[in-house]
Amino acid sequence: MNALEIRDLAVRFGSRQVLHRVSLDVPAGRFVSLVGPSGCGKTTLLRTIAGLVRPSAGALRLLGRSVEGCSREVGILFQEDALLPWRTARENVALGLRFRGVSPADALREADAWLERVGLGGFGAYFPHALSGGMKKRVALAQVLATRPRLLLMDEPFASLDAIVRSLLEADFLSLVRETGVTVLLVTHDLEEALLLSERVVLMSAGPAARITHLYAVPFPYPRDLIGLRADPTFGHLLQQIWADLQREVARMGWEVPA
Amino acid sequence: MRRAGALIVLLVVWEAAARLGWVSSLLMPPPIRVAAVLLELMGSGRLWPHLVVTMLEAGGGLVLGVGVGVVLGLAAALVPPLAELLQPAMTLLNAVPRVILAPLLVIWLGIGLASKVALSFLLVAVTVFFAVYSGIREVDPRLVDRVRTLGGSGLHLLREVYLPSVTAWLLSSLKVAVGFAFTGAVVGEFVASSRGLGYLLSFAQSTYNAALTIALISLVVAVTFSIFAAFERLERWVFRWRREQPFAEPLHAPSAGGASAGSAAIEEEAVQTSRSAAN
Repeated sequence: MNALEIRDLAVRFGSRQVLHRVSLDVPAGRFVSLVGPSGCGKTTLLRTIAGLVRPSAGALRLLGRSVEGCSREVGILFQEDALLPWRTARENVALGLRFRGVSPADALREADAWLERVGLGGFGAYFPHALSGGMKKRVALAQVLATRPRLLLMDEPFASLDAIVRSLLEADFLSLVRETGVTVLLVTHDLEEALLLSERVVLMSAGPAARITHLYAVPFPYPRDLIGLRADPTFGHLLQQIWADLQREVARMGWEVPA
Repeated sequence: MRRAGALIVLLVVWEAAARLGWVSSLLMPPPIRVAAVLLELMGSGRLWPHLVVTMLEAGGGLVLGVGVGVVLGLAAALVPPLAELLQPAMTLLNAVPRVILAPLLVIWLGIGLASKVALSFLLVAVTVFFAVYSGIREVDPRLVDRVRTLGGSGLHLLREVYLPSVTAWLLSSLKVAVGFAFTGAVVGEFVASSRGLGYLLSFAQSTYNAALTIALISLVVAVTFSIFAAFERLERWVFRWRREQPFAEPLHAPSAGGASAGSAAIEEEAVQTSRSAAN
């Protein structure tokens, strides 16, 4: 069964066609990455699935039901943290539960448990302002996972972090996501990140009017050794292949890519 | 501390200038005489009824003005058709010097409390309206998206995002509003009244009593300044979430599913560092 089915989805902003006939299936329980050149509409696609952008045509089915607007089955992790600055870490994590009618005391108790799971037990009373970038990402993940979404969307969640923090977070995020069994659609422009984390990579063409052009299966079983995997010959081979396709895609649009 | 020092220096120079005859002590009576007049006024009990009247007028105008300003500002920002109705009226009211309405208000509402409260209210409400209106329109759209995608309703959005963001704008406009509230009350009393600090002031002016005039001005300044300071404290308390210094990026990997003993120790250290930075 597919957690997400997209058929001929189109999005236009005024006269600008951003997405054109995008079709994509994300099987339930899988981790799929969406890669593509900058500005190709990856983020727009994600925001459309999350219900923040209204499609101009096409169908969007979530767990077999067509959806309009924000669904409570979908969680999204944005590129920039969007924690409420006037709420403490635990209050932020409890937010989605409170929106679902959980009592404040129960919601906070559950929030504490989630903070513990993302490695931030004991930081619940801090305001986001006092937390480092990586810690805020952990809070944001706890906030989204606490609502127990069936589909987790991630929009380059690690883009603003330095390399060390980033690889720590990638490993922790991956193991948590596997534990919860949630279906994931990750948008990234980092091909290595896509290959390290996901089971399937989807390549989107360059905009304007972007669509999906290639699909790749990533054959590494979980749990993965994210450091050792980079040395695997299959990993290098896949990386080269996606790079080649991506370059061809971008060249077709008359743009340049760094080799 | 430095400001208090500057004030003392100013008072000493002024006192000396008056005593040495550099300035006319009729026009610029020395601070000690002004203080004596003020103390006499307080001691005789003649001041209090006037002070109470002015405080009531300014306080009434402030409370009503903030209340109406917040409600109208929220309504205009969240209901676009209302904005089209309200914004031109408010812009017009904002453009004219609103104190010129004082004589009209006296004709409509009499020389008692009501006309001063009304003037004070008009000055405050327009200021607060614009603070709230623009505050809501500048809400961080990422926070709106966050609350909506977490399953929040319109009411949740109002409580979790719009009201807290607008508080920042409201609190800084409140400090300006305090000054406006007293302007409204005192100017209203200048125009027509039988009580209040503005009434005392115009009496002092008509008898060319500079010492009394300066004493009353200092009193009004002291009252508004203490309210101003109280709002500043309130602002610091409301914005306590801005105070703490951010943590450095931790160089440990807290394992998902519970921190190990080693990383817990480092966390402990990070907490202490942050506390000492906050102190």
